[in-house]
Amino acid sequence: MTSWRVLLVAALILALLPLGLPLYALTLAIEALILSLFAMSLDLMVGYTRLFSFGHAAAYGLGAYTAGNLLLHTDIPVVFAVLLAGAFSGVVAIGVGWVCTLATGVSFSMLTLAFAQLLYAVAFKWTAVTGASDGLAGIPRTPGPFGLTVFQSKIGFYYLVLACLVAAFLFCRSLVASPFGAVLRGIRENEAKTRSLGYNTRRYKIAVVGIAYAFGALAGALYAAFAGFTNTELLFWLLSGQVLIMVIIGGAGTLVGPIIGAIFFLIVQQYLSSYTDSWALFFGLIFIGFVLFIPGGLLGLLSGRRSGGTI
Amino acid sequence: MALLEIDHLTRRFGGVVAVDDVSMRVAEGEVRAVIGPNGAGKSTLFHLITGVLKATTGEVRFADERMTGLSAHAICQRGVSRTFQLTALFPEMSARENVRLAAQARGARRWQPYGGTPIFAAADRLGDAALERLGLTHVAHRPAGLLSHGDQRLLEVAMGLAQQPRLLLLDEPTQGLSVEETAQAVDTLASLLDDGGLTVLLVEHDMEVVFRLAHRITVLHRGAVIADDVPTAVRADPAVQSAYLGGID
Repeated sequence: MTSWRVLLVAALILALLPLGLPLYALTLAIEALILSLFAMSLDLMVGYTRLFSFGHAAAYGLGAYTAGNLLLHTDIPVVFAVLLAGAFSGVVAIGVGWVCTLATGVSFSMLTLAFAQLLYAVAFKWTAVTGASDGLAGIPRTPGPFGLTVFQSKIGFYYLVLACLVAAFLFCRSLVASPFGAVLRGIRENEAKTRSLGYNTRRYKIAVVGIAYAFGALAGALYAAFAGFTNTELLFWLLSGQVLIMVIIGGAGTLVGPIIGAIFFLIVQQYLSSYTDSWALFFGLIFIGFVLFIPGGLLGLLSGRRSGGTI
Repeated sequence: MALLEIDHLTRRFGGVVAVDDVSMRVAEGEVRAVIGPNGAGKSTLFHLITGVLKATTGEVRFADERMTGLSAHAICQRGVSRTFQLTALFPEMSARENVRLAAQARGARRWQPYGGTPIFAAADRLGDAALERLGLTHVAHRPAGLLSHGDQRLLEVAMGLAQQPRLLLLDEPTQGLSVEETAQAVDTLASLLDDGGLTVLLVEHDMEVVFRLAHRITVLHRGAVIADDVPTAVRADPAVQSAYLGGID
């Protein structure tokens, strides 16, 4: 299959990338991979199920603060801490999904936003756990298990992030091609019909919210471990909006699209912000252009398709 | 023992009684039509049977099990499949994927989050057979949204069929079709129903269609049953004529 070959080449390039990059660019590359994972997780909801979450920062922040606390207060190695943070957030998300799926459409989006803002408010007040407006600082990348110290170095951590992204990608790819994934597409196109075919659509939606939050939280946890700090911005609605933009610009309804979107976002942000402080304004114009003229996103543009596909 | 038993079913919307103390029995293997003028309560009755709406009072039993109060998906899981008055499909999926998703719903592993080739293969066997019975094999790989309106109506029937339902509810299967399309669709449906084995409840206001397809007809007027008999008797019933057939006779 040719798409497999393309993906293999892409993975190889990403694997060899650190060898040819200066250290500051490696930082950027790690951030790009983390945001890619974050955007891809959101696309399970937005692109595959048409559940527009305006509060995906909740997943990111929850993962970041959970990992931050685990790393600061326990001896759990960083590898396990980020996975635990993802799993914990996925379980929390079942509750979030249960509440949010009481509503549909715009009301669903508003509830996801409300939940994220709730966490944002809590993060400001719950000083013991979140450090309030100071955030958590000095988060270590605890070594182990078996005395493994490789993830403490920047290059080592790059490979940890890459491994997480590849694993998540393979998981999601299998998910969207499965019977479960077929039901998600059914919900996307006609939920009432899907229900009338005998599917308990609400449970499917809660499940996909849980999975999306788990991977989104994994991204946030990796960020906390990488940056060494967390702050309330990781829960702010601005981040929720940005990740939604990455998904749409990259190509919703695909797994590769959001990755391209995240990388594109980061590059353009770097480039524009070196010229002007109001880079967000220009990025907004780019976003509007995509929505109006390139609904299939960057991936659609590259592969010559106008609307979303299934890669 | 009838397959579907409806007893004193009533549904009110505020002051309006949409379905008024309806009782009826549908036997296994029967093709039953529910007719009545617009606003007679036919679609509401369908929604009550399939759990889309909750009954105000009364109950629906299917295969001796109480359905009233169950959710729409739970009722479908017990063997009641339906089509919608306004075509309800997955427009971006191919016709084949549409029937596959319908067939897959009855499989125990419809939750499986990985792989699925054997599940899809089993669903495809049921789906392809359903497509063939409705003459849709030649459009199987076309996106459902791009099919002709007539084929879309039949595709919905195929989706119901692919679920191997014990009771199939068809909500105005020829709704919105031209005269020629209607004739074609009715031919296809007639040959499907003549094969037997299906229990069908059919809402339709095209009299030609009803008299051609139904074994027995229930007439609704302002939410209440005014006749329940074989087609020839219903045609001759004066109450039905004044309520509904009026101008035709």
